[in-house]
Amino acid sequence: MAIDRKKIIDDWSKIQVLGDENGLIESAGVLINQLPVPFWNGFAERLTSKVTPDLLESVEYLLINAAHECGYNTGYGIITSPEWDAIVKPMLEKLPEDILYGAFAVLTAWGWAKAEIVELDPGKRMVVRGYDYYEADVVRYGKSTKHSAYMLTGICAAFMDLAYGGPYDPTGKTGIKTFKCEQVKGIENGDDYGEFIVTRA
Amino acid sequence: MSHYRQIELELDHRFDPFSRRHFLNGFQSVLHCHHYSTLYTQLAIDAQETDLLREVAEDAFVDMLSAYFEDYDITETEERIQIAEQYFAAVGLGKMEVVYLGDDSGKVVLHRAHVDEGWIKKWGKFDRPVNYIAAGYVAAMFAAVNEKAPRSYKVTEVESLVMGAPKSVFNVVQK
Repeated sequence: MAIDRKKIIDDWSKIQVLGDENGLIESAGVLINQLPVPFWNGFAERLTSKVTPDLLESVEYLLINAAHECGYNTGYGIITSPEWDAIVKPMLEKLPEDILYGAFAVLTAWGWAKAEIVELDPGKRMVVRGYDYYEADVVRYGKSTKHSAYMLTGICAAFMDLAYGGPYDPTGKTGIKTFKCEQVKGIENGDDYGEFIVTRA
Repeated sequence: MSHYRQIELELDHRFDPFSRRHFLNGFQSVLHCHHYSTLYTQLAIDAQETDLLREVAEDAFVDMLSAYFEDYDITETEERIQIAEQYFAAVGLGKMEVVYLGDDSGKVVLHRAHVDEGWIKKWGKFDRPVNYIAAGYVAAMFAAVNEKAPRSYKVTEVESLVMGAPKSVFNVVQK
């Protein structure tokens, strides 16, 4: 069976996520939260818009890095979870590529972005398009002069790390940061979709 | 003597099949992990922008809580507090207890906390409070319950789980 993206999204998006008696959501080896989107966008956009130009690159790097670490650790938790075993694992044929395609379907189901892989050169390069993603909501009129999809940029690199960066290392000493990602198009910039190119770091 | 009903938070979760976005009681929400929330916090500390982090949290949550109170016609203070405590838990931020709330001041305790426990899980204990997201939530809760504008309350974390305290404590004072 090949990866059925629509079925993964449909099934995974139905999973109920709610805090337990301690107000915590433990899943996929991490603590989860489900916060309003304006919180995440508000911090990233206000911070990147207020810093001086000489500091912008550093701040953007740290925002992307937050998502890179999130994507690496939570991504590993997802692809080793019981939910993955139930929904995605039966579809896996060609490894690790099918894991990567499946992970992007789960990413979409989590509400991170309506994003999918459009090109994949295994172990070398990946191109992802985001046709709808919450980070583009920072612009309601006109076009921003900078890209804003820091989260999606970091996640794309992290998923390539998981696929081709060697064994998962929870200490973060190896495995992570073997790939880097650049956003080259953005809905927030007036493009029809966001585009993200992942290459070896 | 006043009598209040025990009130239970109602959550309407929807997933838009076209945009692939999640909505919780009409507000778009997204799942993220403690790596992301603690690295955001670390960035705010490094950039000396902890006030910004607290303010965006307050802005996001005050809209959410105020809309709920209005939509469900929650007018009593105690019922609003019950809803706010339950909302805090439902979104995975932890176990909150409002010790007292007035127009001018208040005190809030966290028995469990996503940010503190995530921070400890990632880096271990820390030498100062880090839960600016919860501080923003508390400010939003006081504003929404008392029907005041955002930035009406100063919230200070005076005890902290991340520092090894048995609970986090937030003092609240009207500005």
